Amino acid sequence: MNEIIRLEQLKKTYRSGAIQVEALKGIDLTVNQGEYVAIMGASGSGKSTLMNILGCLDRPTGGRYYLGGHDISCQSDSQLSRIRNRMIGFVFQSFNLIPRTSALKNVELPMIYARIPPRERSRRAAALLEKVGLGDRLEHMPNEVSGGQKQRIAIARALANRPPIILADEPTGNLDSRSSVEIMELFSGLNRKEGNTVIIVTHEPDIAQFTDRIITFRDGAIISDRKVDRDHPPAASKVAAAAAGREGV
Amino acid sequence: MLVLESIKLAFSAIRINKMRSFLTMLGIIIGISSVIAITSIGSSIQSVVDKQFASIGSTYMYVYPDWYMLDDGVVSQSDLFSEDEIRGLKEAYPEMIDYAVPYGYSSSDSRVGRTQASFSLMGVGDGYDVVSNMHITYGRMINENDVKSQKPRIVIDETAAQRLFGKTNAVGESLPLTIDGVANDYTVVGIYYVEPSIFTPVSTDNQFSAYIPYSLIPSMVHSCSNIEIYYASGYDAKTAGDTICRYLERVKDKEEGFYTYDSVEQQQGMMNEILGTISLAIGAIAAISLLVGGIGIMNIMLVSVTERTREIGTRKALGARTGDILFQFLIESMIISAIGGIIGTLLGLGTAAVGMKLVGVDFAVNPLVILLAVGFSAVVGMFFGIYPARKAAGLDPIEALRYE
Ligand SMILES: Nc1ncnc2c1ncn2[C@@H]1O[C@H](COP(=O)(O)OP(=O)(O)OP(=O)(O)O)[C@@H](O)[C@H]1O
Ligand SMILES: [Mg+2]
Repeated sequence: MNEIIRLEQLKKTYRSGAIQVEALKGIDLTVNQGEYVAIMGASGSGKSTLMNILGCLDRPTGGRYYLGGHDISCQSDSQLSRIRNRMIGFVFQSFNLIPRTSALKNVELPMIYARIPPRERSRRAAALLEKVGLGDRLEHMPNEVSGGQKQRIAIARALANRPPIILADEPTGNLDSRSSVEIMELFSGLNRKEGNTVIIVTHEPDIAQFTDRIITFRDGAIISDRKVDRDHPPAASKVAAAAAGREGV
Repeated sequence: MLVLESIKLAFSAIRINKMRSFLTMLGIIIGISSVIAITSIGSSIQSVVDKQFASIGSTYMYVYPDWYMLDDGVVSQSDLFSEDEIRGLKEAYPEMIDYAVPYGYSSSDSRVGRTQASFSLMGVGDGYDVVSNMHITYGRMINENDVKSQKPRIVIDETAAQRLFGKTNAVGESLPLTIDGVANDYTVVGIYYVEPSIFTPVSTDNQFSAYIPYSLIPSMVHSCSNIEIYYASGYDAKTAGDTICRYLERVKDKEEGFYTYDSVEQQQGMMNEILGTISLAIGAIAAISLLVGGIGIMNIMLVSVTERTREIGTRKALGARTGDILFQFLIESMIISAIGGIIGTLLGLGTAAVGMKLVGVDFAVNPLVILLAVGFSAVVGMFFGIYPARKAAGLDPIEALRYE
């Protein structure tokens, strides 16, 4: 399989005054094209820090990050913008939809920055909203839809420029279990049917159970990296049961 | 550049904060409207003043003894001019002097049938109509023969003719006047027309201006202290005035500087200077209000950048480049300012039009001024928008996304 992400001794140190925080202490990691990965770990273990670097929103303070074979650390700001625009779809815990802007316009946003012409833009945005099940909410404002629907708009937006990689930092963190399952099914579909590489940060083992590979962090380092064993799910849970039930159908 | 997108975004941002945007524009509106009003009123007044001076004739001047040079401030007979001396002056400089006559002025009441009128009478010589651009509609102007023969001739205006004789062409009619105690019937030989302006008195009480041969005002002509002169158009007031005064001093054996002159050219220059100074002063005040308006825009754009920090972070995460964000905010401040400029222009033009209507002056819009005003306000918006836009564009995406 083609590797799409490779990290070599990746470090991130935050400096605030005299205090230094080593958020990432030399991460070695390879993710192949089409993988479905969950990142877990205690609060403050460095998951978000890693995601921000993977999403080219932040730069590492040490080590190397190769994205699609290119070294990211030596890219200019405008090249990074371009990578964020074309290569990566980011989904946030707090949705980050542009307020007072319709679902359609929100989804169009990445296409605007990709200089896609207006007609094509709104056609594609409408199709994407249709795909995430919001075909009847095109003109709704973010404050007029539920949390789960907001996250679906955000996912449609992340998919706008057909990026190969989807990064989601606690995408179900603000959602109830029912909406969480729906969102995870969307991600699973993207990974299985469209071949997207999907990396998800989560605190909930049930959510991680949707993926194929679980990487666990502690204190800025990877402490475990294992394949998901679908036949023997860990302690029974409603979410997993619900998901398993659906898959069984 | 995402020109269209940025413009759309700017308008939606302005719509979302209607009241705030309007208050922000207010500084620009006040600045631009005052500039527009002042320049429009100024140029309207200027054109009226120019017309007024032109109606006298731009090469008009009069020469007189400088009162400060007189012993005890008393004029003696030898300081004054005789008709022969004035004729001599004109003959000495035939190229330079088009017209030179003793200044004569009188007034008289008159009555035609039951109509009562009073006349201001200007004593004129041959060719006055030509040098002063008079518009004779019927008959002729006073000529050399009228002056020499001292015949009671008069040229009146159309309104007077209409009021007194019931027709504009009153040539041949006769008008009784008393000048220097001598009563005489004056024959109307010509009718002139003056375009009404704010300086023309509304003659409800039948007060008119008329022209007669200067030789018919003996009291002023025989001891003439002022010479009325029109110099040729190739000369300027200073050259003509100095030459004439020095000549008269030589002829009349006076020290240099004894005679002096006033000219339309100088008056006009002074008037223009005053108008120019006023415009400049008010322009400076307007510029200050534009500056204040610009600072207001900068302030509100900074607030807007802070409010929209998370939005900016999101946009960057979705692939907006530094330049895209910069352009978006710059366009927004430019549009706020330009809208202010457009409203200000309309307001200023409206104010000027109403004001000019009230004083009865023709109002002309200079399209260049409008273009300049709107363009300038956009530039103000751009200038004061640079700092907030740079601040927005320079935000770190992670910090912007974390901003609460
Ligand atoms: N901007 C920052 N400045 C200083 N320290 C920071 C900054 N951002 C994160 N850190 C520190 O880096 C460490 C890792 O933070 P990070 O946000 O990556 O944790 P996380 O695994 O995402 O936690 P959570 O599960 O709570 O989201 C923490 O100790 C945190 O305090
Ligand atoms: Mg986190």
